[in-house]
This record gives sequence, C-alpha cells and structure tokens, in this order.
Amino acid sequence: MRLIKAQLWKQAFVALACLAALAPVYWLVTISLKSEVDQFAVPPRWFVFKPTLAHYADAFLARSFGQYLITSATVAVLSTACALLLGTLAAYALARFRLPRKLDARLALWILSTRMFPPIVTAVPLFLLMRDVRLLNTKLSLIIVYTAFNLPFVVWMMRGFFLEVPRELEEAARVDGDSRLGALRRVVLPLVAPGLAATAVFCLIISWNEFLFALVLTQTDAAMTLPVGIAGRVTQYEIKWGVMSAAGVVAMLPILIFALAVQRYLVRGLSLGAVKG
Amino acid sequence: MPTRKAYPLSIVLILTLTLLNFAGCGQKGSSKQLTLAVNSGVEGDALKQAARDYEAQTGVHINIAEFPYANLFEKELVDLNARTGAYDLVMLDDPWFPRFATSEFLSDLKPFYEKRGQSGPDDDFVANSLALGHHPYQTGALYALPYVGNSQLFFYRKDVFQKHNLKEPATWDEVLAAAKLFNEQDAQSAPGGGKMYGYVMRAAQGNAAVADFMPIFWAFGAEMFDPQGKPTVNSAEGINALRFMLELGKYSPPGYASFNADEVSAHLLQGTAAMSINWPAWISSFSDPAKSKVIGQMGFTVMPGAKNPGRAEIGNWLIAIPRDARNADAAFDFLVWATSREQMKASALRGNPPTRKSIFNDPEMVAKFPAYPQQLRSLENSRPRPRTPMWNEIENAFGIFLSKANSGELSAEDAMNQANAEIAKILERGK
Amino acid sequence: MTINFFRHERALPYLLLAPTVAVLLALSIYPLIYSIRVSFQTGAHAGWSPGNFSRLFADRFFLAALGHTLVYAVCALTFEFLLGLSLALLLNEALRGRNIFRALLLAPMMLPPVVVGVVWRLMLNPNFGAINGTLKGAGLDTTALTWTASPRLALASVICVDIWQWTPFMFLVLLAGLQAIPQEPYEAALIDGSSRWQTFRHITLPLLKPAILIALLLRTMDLLRVFDQVFILTEGGPGFATETISLYIYRTAFRFFDFGYAAAMSFVLLVLTNIISLLYIRLLQRQEAR
Repeated sequence: MRLIKAQLWKQAFVALACLAALAPVYWLVTISLKSEVDQFAVPPRWFVFKPTLAHYADAFLARSFGQYLITSATVAVLSTACALLLGTLAAYALARFRLPRKLDARLALWILSTRMFPPIVTAVPLFLLMRDVRLLNTKLSLIIVYTAFNLPFVVWMMRGFFLEVPRELEEAARVDGDSRLGALRRVVLPLVAPGLAATAVFCLIISWNEFLFALVLTQTDAAMTLPVGIAGRVTQYEIKWGVMSAAGVVAMLPILIFALAVQRYLVRGLSLGAVKG
Repeated sequence: MPTRKAYPLSIVLILTLTLLNFAGCGQKGSSKQLTLAVNSGVEGDALKQAARDYEAQTGVHINIAEFPYANLFEKELVDLNARTGAYDLVMLDDPWFPRFATSEFLSDLKPFYEKRGQSGPDDDFVANSLALGHHPYQTGALYALPYVGNSQLFFYRKDVFQKHNLKEPATWDEVLAAAKLFNEQDAQSAPGGGKMYGYVMRAAQGNAAVADFMPIFWAFGAEMFDPQGKPTVNSAEGINALRFMLELGKYSPPGYASFNADEVSAHLLQGTAAMSINWPAWISSFSDPAKSKVIGQMGFTVMPGAKNPGRAEIGNWLIAIPRDARNADAAFDFLVWATSREQMKASALRGNPPTRKSIFNDPEMVAKFPAYPQQLRSLENSRPRPRTPMWNEIENAFGIFLSKANSGELSAEDAMNQANAEIAKILERGK
Repeated sequence: MTINFFRHERALPYLLLAPTVAVLLALSIYPLIYSIRVSFQTGAHAGWSPGNFSRLFADRFFLAALGHTLVYAVCALTFEFLLGLSLALLLNEALRGRNIFRALLLAPMMLPPVVVGVVWRLMLNPNFGAINGTLKGAGLDTTALTWTASPRLALASVICVDIWQWTPFMFLVLLAGLQAIPQEPYEAALIDGSSRWQTFRHITLPLLKPAILIALLLRTMDLLRVFDQVFILTEGGPGFATETISLYIYRTAFRFFDFGYAAAMSFVLLVLTNIISLLYIRLLQRQEAR
C-alpha cells in the first residue's frame, strides 16, 4: 500500500514537472494562432479563442522566414557534418595513440579549453576576420564558425566513446587484413554509432539555435538564420508577437520532432561515453 | 582495396566543393544593384515597398538588409567603420546621425546635387527635419535627407475627458490632476471591467525612459548641458522634473519602469490607460478592429507645457549614403526619388509621417490622417536630442538612472546626481 | 602516395588531428591576439596603454554586471542540479509512463533561446501576461508581482527562465550517468540491509560523480556567457538589474563602439571561465586517476 502511494506521489511530481516544461511551449503555439486582441486579453485565453493562420502567412509568405528556414537548415546540417567528420578523426587519434611528451592529453585539454571561449569574446575579431577574407554575410562563414564551435564538443564526446571500445576488437580486424582506418570504419564506428548520433543531435541543436554569431556575421536575407529573423521582429514601436511566435513554432518543431525521435540514443549515447569521462 | 581507402577522402572532397559553391553565391558585384539597410518596422517597410516600385520602374536591383531597431545602428556602425562597402544607402534614426557624421562615415550630398545642376534640396522640407541631416547641426554640410517626420504627440482618451468635463490638457499639472482623477474614479472602466490607469509611460532603461522624460524635462526648464557643454541634468529644474515623472508614475500601470513602446501601446489599445506620450506611427492602429478596443476614442495633441511651453522630441528617420558605398551615384538617384513629393506621399499613405510641408497641408491627406495639423505643429516646434556623437552612451546611462528612479531603487535626487557624474565621465572619455 | 602515408602508423595520429587543430587555432588564437592588441588601446592614444584595465575597477556598471553574472550562475546551477538530479533519480526507477515523461521533459532545452526569450517575455508581462492573468483568475492579488519589470524580481525571473530551459539538460546527463552504473553494488547493498539513503550516499553518489562534474562543467561555461534569452527578455533592465557581462560587453562593443574596453572585459570573462573550468577538470582527472 505504502509503495503504491509513493509511486503515485512520484508520478504526480514528474507529471507536474512535465506540465511546467510544456505549458510555455503550448502558450507559444496558441499565441501564434491568435489575433492581436486575443493575444493580450485579460484573463488569458488558454483554450478558447478564434484561431487564425494570418501570422503564419505573414511570416512565411509576406516576409522572408521561408528563406531563413532554408538557411538555418543548410548551416546546421553542413556544420554538423563538418564537425563530426573532423572531430571524430581527431577524437580517434586522441583515444588510440600515445603521443610523446603527453602531447595527446595536453591537446585534448587544449581542445576542450577552446570551448570555454565565450562567444562574445570572439564575435568582433571573427567579424573582422570574415570581412578580410570576404566571407561576411555568407552561409559559409556561419558553417565555419559553427564547425569550430562544435568541434571541441565532438572531440570530447567521441574520445569518450572510443575509449569504451575494447582495443582487441580492432586488433582482430587488423589481423584480418584491415588497415587502421579500415578497422575504424568497419569495426569501431558501428559500435559507437549511438554515441555519434547523440553527438550529432547536440551539434544540430546548437547550430540551429545559435544567435550571437548569426547576428554579428550576417547582413541581409541572403544569410540570415531563423533566430536572427525572429529577434528582428522587435521593432521600435511594437513587437510583432504573432509573427515571432509563428516563426518560433516553426523553428522549434523540426528540432523537437527530431530530438524526440532519437531521444533513446541521446541517453544511451551519453551513458556510453561522455559521462564516463 | 584502393577504392575503399579513398572513401574518407572523397567525402572531404565533396564537402569542400559544396562549401566553395556556397562561398560563390555570397557577394556579387554589379553596377545596377543597390543595397539598403532599413529598420524592421513601418518606416523600413515603406522604404522596402518603394524600392520594389523603383526596381520595376528602372530595372535597378535593390537588396534589402532589414534589422530590428536596436541592431540596425550596430550593424551600420560596424560595417561603415570596417569599410565593407556593404551598403549603398543607410536609414538612420536622427540621434545616431552625429556619431556617423563626426566619424566621417557619410558622403557629403552637395557634389551630387551640383552634378545635377542644383544647389541642394528644395524648401518644401520642414526646417526642423532638414536641420538634422546637417553636420554640425543646422549649419554644416548636408549628409542625409529626412524620410520620416516623427515627433512625439500627446495621446489621450477623448471620451474619458468628456465624461469628466475636461478639455484636452495644456500643462503637465493638468495631466497629473486628470491622471489622479481617472485613477480614482475609473477603477473598473476599461473594456472587460479591468482597471483603467490614469497615465501610461515607458521607463525601460535606454531610449524608452529618456524619450518619455525629455518633454517633461524641457518643460520644467531643465537642460542636459550648459553652454560650455558640461552636463547639468542634476540642476534643481532637472530634479524637479524627475520628481514630477515619479508622481505621474503613481498613476501608471505597475511595472512601467520596464515598459517599452509595445507595452505602452498595448495598454492604450486595450483601453487600460487614458493618456500617454507616443509616436505618430501608432495613430492608425487605434482604428484597426484587430488590435484596438478603443476605436474612435483616442485624441492626439501637442505636448503639454509647464514653466516653458511644451515641446516634443523629434525622432526623424534619415537616409544617407555611406562614404564607401559601391554605387554612390545610383544611390543618390534613389535617395532623391524616394524623398520626392510623390514618393513621400506614397510613404505617408503607408503610414509614415512625411517631412514635407506640402503633404501635411494636402487636404486629401488631412482627410485621411486627421492628426496631420497637430503633427505638423508638433514637428515645427520640436527639439532634437543633444547633437553629440556620444549620445548613445549618454542615453544609455541616463536611461538606466531614470529607470532606477522609476522602479523605486533611487530617489530623484540620487538618480540625477549619479546620472550627471556618469555623463561627465562619458564626455571625458569622448574627448 | 596518400595510401602509403596513411599506412604509416607514426604519422597517422598527427594527420588525423591536424584539421581540427588548424580550425581551432585559426578561430581561437586569432581572436585572442586581436583582443590582446585592442584591449591595450584607448580611443585617444595610439600607443599601448593599460587604461582599459584600470577603468574596469572604477566602472560600477561592469562590477554590477559581474555580480549579476555570478549570482545568475550560482543560483541557476544549484537549482538546475537539484531539480535535474531528483528527476533523474525518479525516472531511473521503473515508473509507469517513464518513456513519455522523459521525452516531454526534454522539450525546453531543444528550443532556440531566442524563442524562449519571446515566450517568457509574453508570459511574464505583468499586465497582459498569462502567468499574472491566471493567478488573477485564481483570485490572487498580482499588483506586486511585476516579474521582469521589478528591480527585485527581475534577476530572479530571468534565472527561473534559465532553470526552466536547462534543468532538462542536467536531467539528461545525470540520467545517462545513472543508467551507466552497474547493478552489482546495489545487490550487495540490498544483502547488507543498507537504508535507501545509505545506498544513495555511498553507492549512487560516488559512482555518479563523473557525470555530475561533466554536467556542472558544461552548464557553468554556458551560464557565465549567458546572452540570448536575457537579450530578448529584458535587455538588461529594468535599470541595470539583469545586465550580464556578455550583454554589457556586447553593448560596449557594438553600441558604444568601444572595442578596446569590450576586449578588456572579455579578458576578465575569459579568465574567470578558464579558472572555474580548470577546477572542474582537475576534480574530474583526480576522479579518473582513482
């Protein structure tokens, strides 16, 4: 009896936490579907209101949010791919080779330390750097910056995953005639695939959501991402809540669906490697 | 065997190619192309639409870079300073202008006029507006043309004033008395039975607090600087003006120390506040049933006075050509076209107050925008914010202390003394 | 040629590391050198001057922003950790609907911080916001609850929003850590007849320590640089009540155009972040060595 009661209490606590987590998300969705008069009605209309798609039309037909969406997707996917490719190779080297003078451990620490750079510290110099190489206001500049931003994370996560894989498996493959990289691809990578997936999801979320660099490095619709576009609806006289929330809903949906679809991997991936250091 | 080993290499290759491809489509250079930096809002929207019309007429391709108000200044300043040449035309809020002009970031417009055999802009522009584009103010060379002729107006609920047999307020004392009266007697008179506050102001740090304070500050006889350029915000008049603002704040909705223009407007539109200082851009919203619960009930008049006659703060949008613009001549053609009588009328019809007298006086326009006579009166009588390149920093510091006083953190006297000291430091650094 | 090179075992690790190191060098060392250079330049003088650094200590805005950032980081970290740990412990057990709960709980951390700022700015509006509206509907007096508009509540409100968004991250990492703990020690504890608290104190906590440290490290680094949500939510106000270091640096650099002073402040932030992070890493390494 006591056990059942305890179970109920726990369920209630967790359910409350879920409610707290989701209520603002729900509110955002309703705001995006309300006319201005309903948005600011007192008392708030949580459930009953006349839905309208006007804000979505305004954002994606009249304004350039469709273009921002494509830019965001391109930048997030390509920067994640680059970071995974470079970072995985580096992580493998750090996990499997002992370099002279503890160079491997030192490099690992240095790579991690570059993630400690607060973005605001690098924003101005990167703006000037991108200007000098004529990459300002291009998707490429964002891809490069996000790749660099995600690299330390990828290296650190993947190093952890690689350390988990027993060396013997690889050596067996090499006895069978595989090269080192062949063994990496055929034997090791499939084993760390959940970890790779978890890492990729994190990189995607970070790139998709990033605001500061996108704000500093882009100038026109040609390279603007969704977060910058959304923040741009705060005008001098008014805040376009409808457009902002409509775009916000669209910005959160893909990442939410994607992340929920792979959430099992997220936990498993994390428990495999990174967490064990 | 070799094919398998080449696998990672081929990925690298494909990625590199994709990336190079992206680099290619970044910046194209062609003479028949202009890039405009505009404010995201009604002013920028009007210029954007004008640009589309211009494209259709002339075949000149126009790129639009649109930024929120706060970021537009940063973007323009950083890009112009870095001499990227990214923009051919920039929209500037007038208090930013001294910063750009003193840094020599803008093109003198005189040579362009001379190339056309003209000496300068025609005299249809409101003098107060055109003065903003000169550096030094009013007297120097011309670097920008005024596009949007905003100056503050006093908004009040005609119906509420009528109910209490009051005429529109002419002095700040009358405003205070009315605010007190409404606050006490109209506790449940907002649509839906909510409380209606007597007054609503915005006192969020930065631009907002300063803009709502300046008309009171000036009316009370205070000045920001003495003739030698020393800050004098903590003069007896200045402190009195802030005391008055705090008094008025008692009849403003709770939390007004963090309000920006959007919150003020929300209160006016929802009918939960009776008076406010606001910009003309909002006038049209009050007759839009999707936004307003007070259709036909809002009145607009010039700024109330006190010791001095009331004067509004001017807030015009200017358009200028950066020094490093890639297509300065084409940019000038567009600038003259966009500020021409005909085009400014189009912009006015899109909701922007003009800067030309002829449009304010056009009977057809007055029929559409009944507040135009008051707007012109307010504009011709308006004052600019102090013309200093350090204005952004000064406004930021001043606004922080005003906001702190309004949120109850500091007394009026402490706030003004601290603001004065901070402004003095900023000026010292700027030397 | 290439293939031979790849076969060459000694060169391989360097070859694999080279691209990463190159990218990171270019995008972190260059900004660092740049920052050092400009931070020693003050507007008026062309030469080297320590003016920007001495100005730091007399600048009350800077000191206030530093204070806010530290309070923000400590409060948010504490609550996120405690809440995240409780949720992780609860959902690590066999609870009905565990998978659904787990999925739902992750939603906030997936949202762009900009969107989070927008949502909460709407919800926390003292007069039209959903929170005060709902409280009022329940018969509560909300005139004093002005959240982000009140100098006393603003920082706390902003911290609450951070807790809302990032507790899921704590939860996720700690849950992963819990699931990686083997079953044997618990079985032994059961045989010994240890109480639940003892089991938690002597088995779960020590085994979870690496996960805890990693989670705290990552969160601390992000908390010290917090920008996006605050930028949208309050822009540092009311007054100066929620201005964080990142915001103040941004304002100084891009609005006041004082890159030198911004760079000097960046240094302080960088050094602070580094010291705190290195402390964590020390602890982690000691853990690993054990």
